[in-house]
Amino acid sequence: MDKFLEQLPIVFGALNIGFLQTLKLFFVTLIGAFPLGLVIAFGSMSRFKPISYIAKVIVWIIRGTPLMIQLLILYYFPGLVFHQAIWGGGENGRFTAAAISFIINYSCYFSEIYRGGIQSVPKGQEEAGLVLGMTRSQIFRHVTLLQMIKNILPPISNEILTLVKDTSLARIIALQEIIWAGQSFMKGSHGISGAIWPLFFTALYYLIWNGIMTVLLGKLEKKLEYFR
Amino acid sequence: MKKAIALAAAALMAVSLTACGGGSSSTAQTEAQTQAAAEETQAAASEGSDLDYVKGKGKLVVGVTDFEPMDYKDDSGNWIGFDADLAAAFAKSLGVDVEFVEINWDNKIMELDGKTIDCVWNGMTLTDEVKSSMSTTNAYCNNSQIVILPKDKADQYKDKDSLKDLKFAVESGSAGEEQAKELGAEYTPVESQANALMEVSSGTSDAAIIDSLMAAAMVGEGTSYENLTYTVKLNDEEYGVGFRKGSDLTEKLNQFFADSYKDGSMKKLADTYKVSAALIEQ
Repeated sequence: MDKFLEQLPIVFGALNIGFLQTLKLFFVTLIGAFPLGLVIAFGSMSRFKPISYIAKVIVWIIRGTPLMIQLLILYYFPGLVFHQAIWGGGENGRFTAAAISFIINYSCYFSEIYRGGIQSVPKGQEEAGLVLGMTRSQIFRHVTLLQMIKNILPPISNEILTLVKDTSLARIIALQEIIWAGQSFMKGSHGISGAIWPLFFTALYYLIWNGIMTVLLGKLEKKLEYFR
Repeated sequence: MKKAIALAAAALMAVSLTACGGGSSSTAQTEAQTQAAAEETQAAASEGSDLDYVKGKGKLVVGVTDFEPMDYKDDSGNWIGFDADLAAAFAKSLGVDVEFVEINWDNKIMELDGKTIDCVWNGMTLTDEVKSSMSTTNAYCNNSQIVILPKDKADQYKDKDSLKDLKFAVESGSAGEEQAKELGAEYTPVESQANALMEVSSGTSDAAIIDSLMAAAMVGEGTSYENLTYTVKLNDEEYGVGFRKGSDLTEKLNQFFADSYKDGSMKKLADTYKVSAALIEQ
């Protein structure tokens, strides 16, 4: 027990640094994937066929392959195939590669959710808008958008909670997120070796963070409730 | 308006597509690309000399994992250890900076070939697989593969023959896996040596095979594995450093090993990190 108390502050320090990296990846992914997902959603709904095909093929490829493979390809292929290690070996390059992989991956999932949300708004509203002389972009901004946001909130919340945990996949390209930090104590790090408990301890971080997220998203959902 | 949205969508998708291909339209990355391209022309001009490549960029990027006593971080986060200190000294002798990058051990060959690191210097056992996929230096440290067992069972397994009926856990692609194959025992490949120990500790496997240098640090008093112990030594093997295939840095490092063994600095480092018993004469 003494040993445990002695190790606790050291482990906390290392896990906090790892969790900061996890959160950084989480927020950057959301910031990038929300708008990019909308672009892909518009693309796949486009009445100009080539664009809608391209968008659908991208979504098919990204959703059809494991994120882990996408991370490996994006990080290693530039050096292995094109002989230009554009990311470099350092922590920043690994983070950038991970962030781009996550943004592309999550925007494809988001795009399908957006599409469902947009198409769930009754067509009659669009027709009514056209009759009133509104342009399509006005209809989207003033009529469709908020209803879409309300409709997609539950599935998007699901994706957000999944994203928090998916960030751990980035350890495949040696991004030192919290699970990596926890696992390093098994081999030996910061003078502690052969300790298993920090790895399992990381679960608490995810649990608490997802608890906060659940409460916030629930509040947002409540706020949009009047809107039905 | 519809067309404008469609066009914007097309443009943005084109951007995301090129991003998929490994490039992007942002200036920072264009810069990085030009730089990488410049580096490549430079490397090509000198017929791919790794030494010139490293000198050109001014730093040697060393791929490591957290592995006491070879490579690990001190309290202020700097990399130390027998391997780390030696790598820093080697970089200094080349007149370049040293940068340590923590890698995923499974991907070490991809990291090397993809030029995200310049060498693997992390208590790496010279297996046939390693030798065939990298350019390796002379061995500098002895190691062995040993069997880890729960303490209460250790008495029953004192020699190689008694081990055959055990279910082993070994690190995938490690020297320990080769030993398990040789024993003809049933085994499960797991992600790391640390995970192999967890298998034994939780009872999902009967025993593990790991590096003796590592076992000394990870098993017994003061660890989470107080109930485990090590018994049979299965083989003798050696540690070496790996560079890209065909690299001229390998010869350079062999020379450096020889010099620093002769002047005693290598021995002194080995004493500091308590690995002098395993040090090999250069």
